[in-house]
Amino acid sequence: MKQIIILTVNNKVYEIAVAPNRTLTQVLREDLNLTGTKEGCGIGDCGACAVIMDGRPVNSCLVLAVQANGSDITTIEGIAEREKLHPVQQAFVEHGAIQCGFCTSGMIISAKSLLDKKPKPSELEIREAISGNLCRCTGYQKIVEAIMDASQKMKK
Amino acid sequence: MLLLPKFDYYEPKELTEACRLLSETGSKAKIIAGGTDILVNMKKGLISPKVLVSLGRISRLSEVERMNKSITIGSHLIIAKLAEFDLIRKRFSILASAAKVLGSPLVRNRATIGGNIVTARPAADLPPVLMALGAKVKLKSRRSEREVALDDFFIGPGATVIKPDEILTRVIIPETPSYTGGHYIKLGHRKALEIAIVAVASKITLNKPDGVIKDAKIVLSAVAPKAVHAKSAEEVLIGEKPSAKLFEEAASLAMNDCKPITDIRGGVDYRQAMVEILTRRTLSFAWKEAKKGKKQ
Repeated sequence: MKQIIILTVNNKVYEIAVAPNRTLTQVLREDLNLTGTKEGCGIGDCGACAVIMDGRPVNSCLVLAVQANGSDITTIEGIAEREKLHPVQQAFVEHGAIQCGFCTSGMIISAKSLLDKKPKPSELEIREAISGNLCRCTGYQKIVEAIMDASQKMKK
Repeated sequence: MLLLPKFDYYEPKELTEACRLLSETGSKAKIIAGGTDILVNMKKGLISPKVLVSLGRISRLSEVERMNKSITIGSHLIIAKLAEFDLIRKRFSILASAAKVLGSPLVRNRATIGGNIVTARPAADLPPVLMALGAKVKLKSRRSEREVALDDFFIGPGATVIKPDEILTRVIIPETPSYTGGHYIKLGHRKALEIAIVAVASKITLNKPDGVIKDAKIVLSAVAPKAVHAKSAEEVLIGEKPSAKLFEEAASLAMNDCKPITDIRGGVDYRQAMVEILTRRTLSFAWKEAKKGKKQ
């Protein structure tokens, strides 16, 4: 039986009827058309589906939409300010930290969560923060450099 | 895309309601906490419970309480918070360090302490440190409530003494005496999203900073169907003055206190050799900390 849930996604409130067996990833992508969130493995290994839920980055493929009822969610679509990219997004573009792009949404979600909590992280802390996000193109180096650069620029 | 089978979903706000739901639906129902394990198993088609009862809205189950001579942790506390709470970081630092190496940051923000226990994986990160700390778990059903020492909780891979109508509600960890130190080392191929090849948790208590060992706990993980105490190694330490030589003796005894298997993650011989090394290393770290008088 469907249940009515209320989600605040990127500062917009939605009231949606969902079946309990649908994941947050599915509802974001299929009901709200927020297709920036990707589903990779579907079992919590790759981090492509990461979103910020009540201040913490989580794998949305392992959250039932009904579990997220009442939560405040930020997806990749909510990171930029209108046309202006978030410093992390800008740094990813400038450093070539995006190749195929499939991991990028999740990477940026994890990176932004880190910088929100810790504006000036060490390289090790950056690597730890993205350790739940798999990238099969870049070898991570450019992603780490981009996040370090973003943290420098955000400080100014 | 991996899809979930159909099920009915309940999220009671009270524990008594959760117990009632569980007892009425019987074996068709499963508890969902963080969901990082059960949803994976459901997506893979390994299990398909007809009913899921969530503990997520029972706020008391996410709290840490300080009691007389112990702390009790609600079973729904997420792993990330275990490593964030000052009380846990300072007084039960091995628990915080095991919490930091569980899964990945994304998993730790959902997975719960109770979930890591009831799933009873032989290589789970929290059981060895909780056993070294002498933890107990509280199991509640509609009609009864009981406490079980974690040492007696696990039966084998995926199997525990918990009954189908019981809910693991709290983890109780006794306060440890002065001059106690502990250490946890997880050996894996990588630093995140890893299942241990071997993991060892050690805890020792001295009678005074340069004194003898009053109490010793060494728990070996991923080298038996469940986490096991290295009993002969623990025994040889008690009443003795710590030294590198004593720790070497204990470490070589620990090798025979486990029964590892050969699988994709490592062979029997390698695992036993690593038990020896990790036992020695965790003991020397634990000793250093115990001498400082720090409570573990």
